[in-house]
Amino acid sequence: MANRRLLVKRLKAVRNIRKITRTMELIATSLFKKAMDRATEAAEYTRKISEIVGDLGRANLKFSHPLLERRAEEKRSILLVLTANRGLCGGYNASVLRQSLIHIRSLKEKAIEFQLEVSGKRGIKFLNYQKVPIHTQYTTFEDQPSFAAVETLANRFVDDFIAGRIDRLDVAYTRFVTSSKQFAVVETLLPIGSLEGGIETKSEAGIDYEFLPSAQEILTEIVPAAFRAKLFKCFLDAAVSEQIARMVAMKGATENADEMAGSLKQQYNRARQAGITSELAEIIGGAAALG
Amino acid sequence: MTAGKVSQVIGSTFDARFPEEHLPDIYNAVLIEADVKGNKVKVTGEVQQHLGGGRVRCVALGNTDGMRRGMDVIDTGKPLSVPVGKATLGRVFNVLGEVIDGRGPVAYDERWPIHRRPPLMEDLSPKAEVFETGIKVIDLLTPFVRGGKAGLFGGAGLGKTVILTELIARIASAHGGYSVFAGVGERTREGNDLWLEMQETKIGTTDRSVIEQTCMVFGQMNEPPGARLRVALSALTMAEWFRDATGADTLLFVDNIFRFSQAGSETSALLGRMPSAVGYQPTLGTELGELQERITSTKNGAITSVQAVYVPADDATDPAPATAFAHLDAFIYLERRISEKGIYPAIDPLASSSRLLDPQYVGQRHYNAARRVQQTLQRYRELQDIIAILGVDELSEDDKMVVHRARRIERFLSQPFLVAEVFTGKAGKITPLADTIRSFEEICDGKWDHLPESAFMYVGAIEEAEEQYKKMQAGA
Repeated sequence: MANRRLLVKRLKAVRNIRKITRTMELIATSLFKKAMDRATEAAEYTRKISEIVGDLGRANLKFSHPLLERRAEEKRSILLVLTANRGLCGGYNASVLRQSLIHIRSLKEKAIEFQLEVSGKRGIKFLNYQKVPIHTQYTTFEDQPSFAAVETLANRFVDDFIAGRIDRLDVAYTRFVTSSKQFAVVETLLPIGSLEGGIETKSEAGIDYEFLPSAQEILTEIVPAAFRAKLFKCFLDAAVSEQIARMVAMKGATENADEMAGSLKQQYNRARQAGITSELAEIIGGAAALG
Repeated sequence: MTAGKVSQVIGSTFDARFPEEHLPDIYNAVLIEADVKGNKVKVTGEVQQHLGGGRVRCVALGNTDGMRRGMDVIDTGKPLSVPVGKATLGRVFNVLGEVIDGRGPVAYDERWPIHRRPPLMEDLSPKAEVFETGIKVIDLLTPFVRGGKAGLFGGAGLGKTVILTELIARIASAHGGYSVFAGVGERTREGNDLWLEMQETKIGTTDRSVIEQTCMVFGQMNEPPGARLRVALSALTMAEWFRDATGADTLLFVDNIFRFSQAGSETSALLGRMPSAVGYQPTLGTELGELQERITSTKNGAITSVQAVYVPADDATDPAPATAFAHLDAFIYLERRISEKGIYPAIDPLASSSRLLDPQYVGQRHYNAARRVQQTLQRYRELQDIIAILGVDELSEDDKMVVHRARRIERFLSQPFLVAEVFTGKAGKITPLADTIRSFEEICDGKWDHLPESAFMYVGAIEEAEEQYKKMQAGA
């Protein structure tokens, strides 16, 4: 009975939280639509271009491009982790970070030196807490990562790779498959040949290309472009997945808050009624005893 | 010895008319003995009020069935008294001091009246010493005071009686002194179970059973309110004899002190008092105070008492438990939410407290360990609303760690009981205080973060949790 005030306080708090989560759900829904459009637009292009690169890499043995070459010995690598700047998106950040930690552990086992680059405040916080040294951190990639920003990043990776400063580039991000299916992965983007397992089977027959002006020229153009597109795709996927995760998490949170507010309200009503009943009983009892 | 006549019978109270110049004193016992159509009616009453005009109002300490107006009432001239002394050991009494275990009469030397004064202030013993029970949660968070009073508060079915029986099994069997058990308004069956159990349990390594050092007084649910109102006093009087005459450490177990207040409220309206808050008697505080003030340790001897207190409708603000609260040194609150998780004893580590949990009594290390445990659990409780709405993932890394440890601590506070062996299939565990403190310190330090939560359920010291984990892995 005495906790009636406490119940009111909690009820208010829960309702306030509900307002926030409901708003965030709505915002996430609209952001998701935008991000989704960008991602689907980019997806087709990226798929085709990596298909070509994959085919070229295998089909044309005479020519090669440094980005396609797998180094015999992998000594130095970069791990790029894509997380969100903000929380309140369920297990989105946690699962990417879990995958990253597993990857880091395996790198350590293989004694491969790694440089950690992290995008997103959540990931930075977590890895700092885990005391994993971070080499570079980015907090500028928001809901709509711009191609220009990703491009500069991509160019740096390409330069590093060609110059031999790194032998490998891995990206940990949440891959977007459909709006009901996303999962955290660690993908190797460089060297490029080591990806797109699915396309491999498809082009088993070997498509014959005719090259004009020359295969080598095309390769020098198309390979870095493919890499840039792929990296950009990672960022887009991550952005869509974040919005979906937030939408789902906030929907759940709003429902939970509703449920909690309902049960608190019920408790409060009961306590209030009990108070009234006992006061009435006391007054009547007292009056009866006096009478 | 003057005689009067019954003039009115109202439920468990009755009025009697005496000659104006020979009124029985308040608290005098009056006796009614009559034959009604071949059925014997024998009722003892206690004078409660003088109504004027030679009438007195009494509470019946037995059943008033068959009583009628005009019956003879004899004033015994003194309050109700019960036999005291070593002859009472091993026996079971009712509120009137009559044996009810069917083992023949008691050869007592002395009877003491059940209404007595509390010890004088100057005779009180100021000692404050920890009384180890071997139950982790009690020893760590609500250490009992030797010669003090501990209360077990809890709603229906949370295990008050089980903890009380467990304490009897732990303390009485390790304890050299005398014990007195008062069954106040609880189930008769439980009283019987306890009596049989005490005959089986042996004291330490000796061949003598606990009952030989114990006397039991019962006024259970089936008895009229007058009996339940006075049975605690009868038991207490016997305990006082052990304290005052032998100077031995005496244990007094009361199950359940709330029934005492309840019996008071049942008779109060019949005695014509106006009901007070929640329908209790206006004299609630006085009645309980008179009883509780007598349960104290003097320089001569100590009474350590453990009392179960029923909390009606789980509402701790109810006047009866709230009044009892003030009298206790150690306060143990049983919580339904914890028992719903299957954690027994269902002691709420945050609501329970003890006067002794202070560095000057228990030492800095114990105090710090207890505070850390409480802080962790407190933080967990604060976070629970957030977790319920947003999920664990949204917590900061530090808070996740708090939740992680708090959930383990919560489970580690459970412990297998000696008396529950038959039900749980796990042997009861007595954990020494040093092990308890060390175990909780290590959990707070994060030494055992790698064990799963279930490994912490129902074990003694922390090493047993590790063992249990290995066993679980071997089994899986």
